[in-house]
Amino acid sequence: MKKLFAVLAVAAALGALCNPALAALQVDVTNANPQPLPIAIPDFVAAGPGDAQSGANIAGVVRADLERSGLFKPIDPKAFVDHIANINTVPTFANWRVINAQGLVAGDVVMQPDGQLRADFRLWDVYGESQMTGQQITASPGDWRRIAHKISDAIYERVTGEKGYFDTRIVFIAESGPATKRAKRLAVMDEDGANPNFLTNGYMVLTPRFNPTAQMIAYMSYIGAKPRVYLFDLETGRQEMLGNFPNMTFSPRFSPDGNKVALSLENGGNSDIFVMDLRSRAITRLTTDPAIDTAPSFSPDGRQIVFESDRGGSQQIYMMNADGSNQHRISFSQGRNGTPVWSPRGDMIAFTKVDQSRIDIGVMRTDGSGERIISSGWEDEGPTWAPNGRVLMFTRTLEGGRGAQIWSVDVTGRNERRVLTPGNASDPAWSPLIQ
Amino acid sequence: MSQSQNASRAKALRRPRPTTADPPLLGYAVSLLFHGALVAAVIIGFRHTFDVAPETHAVPVDLVTVTDRTNVRAEAPPVPKPVKPIVTPPANEPPPLPQFQEAEPSPDITAPKFKVRPETKKEQTQDFAALLNKLTKDVKVPPKNAKAGPRTITGIGAMNGMTADLADALKSQIYRCWSPPVGAPNANDLVVDFDLQLNPDGTVASLRPSSGTAMAVAGNSYTRAAAEAARRATYQCQPYKLPGDRYAQWRDVSPLRFDPRELMGQ
Repeated sequence: MKKLFAVLAVAAALGALCNPALAALQVDVTNANPQPLPIAIPDFVAAGPGDAQSGANIAGVVRADLERSGLFKPIDPKAFVDHIANINTVPTFANWRVINAQGLVAGDVVMQPDGQLRADFRLWDVYGESQMTGQQITASPGDWRRIAHKISDAIYERVTGEKGYFDTRIVFIAESGPATKRAKRLAVMDEDGANPNFLTNGYMVLTPRFNPTAQMIAYMSYIGAKPRVYLFDLETGRQEMLGNFPNMTFSPRFSPDGNKVALSLENGGNSDIFVMDLRSRAITRLTTDPAIDTAPSFSPDGRQIVFESDRGGSQQIYMMNADGSNQHRISFSQGRNGTPVWSPRGDMIAFTKVDQSRIDIGVMRTDGSGERIISSGWEDEGPTWAPNGRVLMFTRTLEGGRGAQIWSVDVTGRNERRVLTPGNASDPAWSPLIQ
Repeated sequence: MSQSQNASRAKALRRPRPTTADPPLLGYAVSLLFHGALVAAVIIGFRHTFDVAPETHAVPVDLVTVTDRTNVRAEAPPVPKPVKPIVTPPANEPPPLPQFQEAEPSPDITAPKFKVRPETKKEQTQDFAALLNKLTKDVKVPPKNAKAGPRTITGIGAMNGMTADLADALKSQIYRCWSPPVGAPNANDLVVDFDLQLNPDGTVASLRPSSGTAMAVAGNSYTRAAAEAARRATYQCQPYKLPGDRYAQWRDVSPLRFDPRELMGQ
C-alpha cells in the first residue's frame, strides 16, 4: 500500500504540473486610435519677480511647438486644478490625471547673476508617476525662444523616440508685390515663423539651401540676367558667386560634410550635374548624358546622390554614386517625378510628382518602392525635410494667381498645416538642428 | 520422528533461505523510476490533448431563411454502380492458447515478517485527498503585491476556443486608448509584449513588459516610445468590462501584444 501511495504521489505531482488552467489569455492588439498626447504645461515658475514674464513666454512657445507637431495636445491652462510651485517636489498626480493629462511639464526660469537666462524642467509620466526626463538650459536672454525650442525638442524626443526639430531655421523666398511684378527676397526665420530676417533686396532669387552648419546659404540668383549660384555667409553677410562658369548654374545643394556643393551646369540646352569642392574649388563632372540632369541631393552618408533626369523621355528620379558611377533609375510610377530630396534619416526620398493635372509631394523608399502621396493641395512642390526625417515643408501655390505659401506635413501624410510667413512665400529649405 | 523426516528437515536446513531482515530498497527505487517513466510517457504522449484550438474570431452570423422555391433542381438519382461482392474471409482459427505448465510447488518459504494491514476503503480516499490538497496548494504562489482575486481551477476548459471572445472583448476596449508612434522608420521595432494581471473589477493589478521587450527597450528609443504608449493605453482604458463569472479565464493576459505593423502598412 505504501508503494501504491508513492506511485500515486508521483502521478499526482506530474499531473498537477501540467494543469491547463494555468495557461493565460493571449491578446494581440493590432488596431489603434492615434491621438495627440494630452500634456499639461503650466507657466514656468519664476525664481524672481522679473522672471514671471519669461516663465510664461517660454511655456507658451513650448506649448505651441508641441501642438504644431500634431503629436501632442497641450491642455488649456485654464482647465488646471493644481499648479506647480516648486519643480523639485513630486507633483500630486491625481490632480493632473483628473484633467486627463498623460504628461506634465514642470519648469522654472531664473535670470542668473552673470546675465544668462537659465531654465530647468522636468517631464513627468502622470500614469506611471515617475520622471521621464529633465534638463537645464542656459542662454543669453535674447535667445529665450531657443531655450523653449530646446525644451520642446527634449520632450518630443523622449516621448516619440525621434530627434526633435524645433530649434531650427528655415530659409525661403519671401514674395511681395503684385502677380505681374513679384519681388522675391531671400529670407531666414525660425521654424515656427518667429524672427524673420530679409537677407537680400531686389534680386530674383531661387532655391536657397542651408549648409550643414546653418551658417551658409547657397542659392540661385539672376544678377545680371544670367542665373548663377551664390554663397551667402550668414555671419558676415558676404555674398560670393560660386565658380565662374560661362553659362547658367542652378540647383545647388551642400554635401553632408559641408565641403562640397553639387549643382547643375547648363551648356547649350543640356544640363549636367557637377560637384565643386569648396576648399580647392576643383570641379568634377558627374553626368554626361545629353538629357537635362538636375536637382542633385546627397544621401546622409555622402556616398550617393539622387537626382532628376529626363534621359528616359520624361522627368524621373535617378540615383548614382557620389563619383558619378552606377547611374540608374528608381522611379517607375506614372507621371513625371522630380526634385528628389534624400531624408536626413536616410530611409526615404521625398519628391514632386506631376500626374495629369495634379502636382503633389510624394515619398518613396530609397529603392523606389513604397511610393505614397502625402500632400493634397492644388499645386504642391519642392519638398524639404526637417533634420529628424519626420516632417516636411513644401511650396503650395494657390489657385487663381493668389500666390504661394509654405506648408508643412508629417511623413505619414497627417497634420498638414500652413507655416506662418510674413507674406506669400516659397522654396523653403530646412536647416539642421542649430548647435 | 522418522528418519526420512529428519533427513528432509536437515535438507531444508541446509538449503539457503532468503533473508527477511532488510526491505529491498533498490527494488523500490527501480520500481518508482519505471512507474515515473510510464507516467511521463503518458503525459508526453497525450500532451496535445489539452491544447487550445486555433483562435477564431467571433464572426457575426445572419440567419437567412431559404424560401420554399429554389432554383436548385433535384439531381437525377445516382446510377447504381456494380459493387464488388463482399467476400467474407474465412474465419481464422484463434491461435492455440499457450499451455501453461504447472509450476513446481515452491519450496517451503516462510512469509516475510512485515505485517500487511488491509486498509479500509474510507481510509484510502482520505489519505489520497489530503495528498492532493497538499500538492495543489504548493503548485503556484501568486505574486505578493498583486491584489488579484482568488484562483479557481477550472480544469480543461480554461484554454480553448471559448476564450476567443474574451480576447476580442479586451482588444476592443484597449485599442481606443492606444496611440503608437507610427513615424518610426522600422515598424518591427514597435512590436511590444506585456504580461498583464487584472483584478476582478477589471482594473490593472500589474503590467510588466516581457523580458524580450524590456531588453529591446533598453537599446532602441522607438521601442521605448512604443512600450510607453502601450502602458499608457492599458492604464487609461481601465476598468475593463469582462464577464465576472469567467474571471479565471481573463485574470492573466500573456502576452498582451501591441503590434502596429498592419496599421503602418508594413
